[in-house]
Amino acid sequence: MFFLQSLLSGILTGGVYALAGIGMSLVFGVMNISNFAHGDLMMLGMYLAYFAFTLLHIDPYLSLLLIIPTAFLFGFIIEKLFIHRIINHPHQNQILLTIGLGLIMSNSALLAFTSDPKILTTTYSSSAFHFFGGISLSVPLLLSFVITCGIIGVLFFFLSKSTTGLALWATSQNREAAQLMGINVAKMSAIAFGLGTALAATAGALIAPTYYIHPMAGHTFLLKAFTICVLGGLGSVIGAGVGGVIIGVVESMASTYLSSDWKDVVVFIIFLAVLLLRPQGLFGKKGEQ
Amino acid sequence: MKQSAIIVIIAAVAALLPLMTGENPYVLGVMISVLMMAALSSAWNILGGYAGQYSFGHAAYFGAGAYTTMILISTFNVNPLVSMAAGIIIACIIALITGSIVFRLRGHYFGLASIAVAEIVRLSVLNVDFSGGAQGILLSDLSLWGLDLNSKNPFYYGMLIVLVVTLGITLYLRRSKTGFYLQAIREDQDAAASLGINLSFYKNKALLISAALTSVLGSLYALYIRFIDTSAVLDLRLSIEIILTAIIGGVGTLWGPVLGAVLLVPLAEMLRSNVIGETLVKHGIVSETSGLGLFLKDNLAHAHVLVYGIITVLCILFLPKGILGLFRRTK
Amino acid sequence: MIGHILHINHVCKNFGGNVAVSDISFSVDEKQIFGLIGPNGAGKTTLFNCITGFYPVTSGTIIFDNKKINNLRPDQVCHLGMARTWQRVKPLGSLTVLENVMIGAFSVTNVTREAEEIAIEQLASVGLSDYAAKFAGSLPIGLKKKLELARVLATRPKMLLLDEICGGLNHTETDGILTIIREVRNKGATIVFIEHDMKAVTSICDSIVVLNSGEKLAEGRPEEITKNPEVIAAYLGGGQNAND
Repeated sequence: MFFLQSLLSGILTGGVYALAGIGMSLVFGVMNISNFAHGDLMMLGMYLAYFAFTLLHIDPYLSLLLIIPTAFLFGFIIEKLFIHRIINHPHQNQILLTIGLGLIMSNSALLAFTSDPKILTTTYSSSAFHFFGGISLSVPLLLSFVITCGIIGVLFFFLSKSTTGLALWATSQNREAAQLMGINVAKMSAIAFGLGTALAATAGALIAPTYYIHPMAGHTFLLKAFTICVLGGLGSVIGAGVGGVIIGVVESMASTYLSSDWKDVVVFIIFLAVLLLRPQGLFGKKGEQ
Repeated sequence: MKQSAIIVIIAAVAALLPLMTGENPYVLGVMISVLMMAALSSAWNILGGYAGQYSFGHAAYFGAGAYTTMILISTFNVNPLVSMAAGIIIACIIALITGSIVFRLRGHYFGLASIAVAEIVRLSVLNVDFSGGAQGILLSDLSLWGLDLNSKNPFYYGMLIVLVVTLGITLYLRRSKTGFYLQAIREDQDAAASLGINLSFYKNKALLISAALTSVLGSLYALYIRFIDTSAVLDLRLSIEIILTAIIGGVGTLWGPVLGAVLLVPLAEMLRSNVIGETLVKHGIVSETSGLGLFLKDNLAHAHVLVYGIITVLCILFLPKGILGLFRRTK
Repeated sequence: MIGHILHINHVCKNFGGNVAVSDISFSVDEKQIFGLIGPNGAGKTTLFNCITGFYPVTSGTIIFDNKKINNLRPDQVCHLGMARTWQRVKPLGSLTVLENVMIGAFSVTNVTREAEEIAIEQLASVGLSDYAAKFAGSLPIGLKKKLELARVLATRPKMLLLDEICGGLNHTETDGILTIIREVRNKGATIVFIEHDMKAVTSICDSIVVLNSGEKLAEGRPEEITKNPEVIAAYLGGGQNAND
């Protein structure tokens, strides 16, 4: 019964991880950049949800309607101001730039909001659905999962049906060829980064009701998002989705059967194992060596 | 002038500095930090700057040295120098394991894998019993051959010696086959392999040298502060500070990391100890009781990482080859 | 008697499901200048990558100097005396021209001064002495190709694999390179080279293998190859200009 319980809560948490992972994978696929500020963008999403709730009294799930466009715009601007200048630089410079941006975000948050963790308590925060056999699922986690599925569905529809989505996909397949075909790849990069930011912030907002909100929260999620992307194959959106659920389940299992202290270690060991045994990831076509 | 002569002259001047600054422990402390970061960044530079393998997890080797030293001394009371040697061995073992995993990867993957290894080390240390866990390890009085290790002076000279050794090794490598091979690997791995360079052998060699030096600095730091925990010696932030220092000075140059440390560390120390805020208040530029004054007093101490972030972004955008890169060869 | 120095035995190379090189066999005699030609996508460079250890072969064996070299790394292959150049030149950009050649020379010496001497000598032999202190990345393409040649020659190879060493060069530059290649052969090295330029190939090669779509199409002396109708068809049919 423990098994089923931790499997289910793992899947629910994994859904939100998947969202963060997809955002990162999208940016990687289109721009070929490892975004080390991704975790901090998630952290900003958490604070947005928190302040929307405490100051504007908007339900955290409803506030997504505000957070998604705000975050998209924020990401779009960040790309235009900073990222696009280094798109052809060596990987290490790209990594360092996004690390720098992340440090600015997290430490500005530290100055503005102090290091005291905030808790977003809704009326249903601690309520749970109880099922037959003693399995219970937390309401906010369940709600998050449902919303996640909806967003992923919309995203897939957008990527596979809309002109912009197809242009994004073409850019991720081959940047030069896409450019030759008349696609504005600079614009695609900005859109991809905007989408990546929106997805990160959404993931942040979705876990805000079940997590401590503090300026350094991004750190943990960053490494998780990377693990998810590598597991699914860097650049693969479907892979990141599946990778997110796998990581959610692994964490949950590790907490149940090992100890919650070691769950991150297990995640990183999986990360290294994937890099060693299947660097192209579960869904990647070919490894980038 | 020959680089080796410059190293000797600068080392001699540095050796005399504590006599000039007198007994001011604060200034001496900052100078020790400068030397340590210069040495750390120079050690990283052997792997990152010359071989082009950007390790984002060098804190693991620093922590390996620091923890090995502290555990051996606090539980078995071993000689500090022996503990330092043990630290080198542990760091090299971690380096060999890391190398065998990460050097098969290139580009993005290499950086990510180096972080993952460092995080595994950090979390493991945090979660095992003998490392003191989240509490860290505290050491009381310490001495070595009658030398009082509770004072700062021995550590100033200790750090200086490691820095000089690191620079000496860098200089030697740069003129030797290994150094040429490392630079070839940095420029183009396929071309390097086709010219007879065993990529993993030379990358591992650079990593081992770099890790061993980093671990010695970790041991020295632990003995100097006599308190360590994972956030001080194993944090990702330390790894990043090491890289930033090299980037700002100039990656792949002999003096870049030293220059970076001379510029960055005092700045960080000033922010951390709130010298700037206090100076502004003291000279009446900002009133202590005004809103701004209170804000500066409370928060500027936290701001040094923010400043690091801003410097990183500006540096990558406008000065990607670092300050020395301005005067150096262009591609 | 002059023996074979390189044997390619039924070598196949697949990428996923795609066959890049299919069942290719041929032998190269010592001190030969051997041409490997074929239209784009014929599998020439893939075969080079297999021979020099950059790709593992899917099946078949490669024997160099009486040693099986299938599973060796590129650096091991180099130390056995086989060196290669790259179709897209790979200068070590922020090192000087001299330092580039020194990197090659370090495969025969561990002493920096000796490597420098070998490099200086090698640069003189290809006529690059004037550029010794320039950064390799700053050279024009013709000189980069010469630099590649000087760099591999500094490894003192028994066999030299040249991947389109004349590609993108004008006639004077091509002639210059071909002269160097002949000299190298006269000093005892064997040369295999991939070339697009039929004229360059026929003027210099002792023997030629033609590849098309990963398979061996023909093998023989240059005058036989140029008259072979299948070869002509492959070049014309592949939309390739034999003289481009």
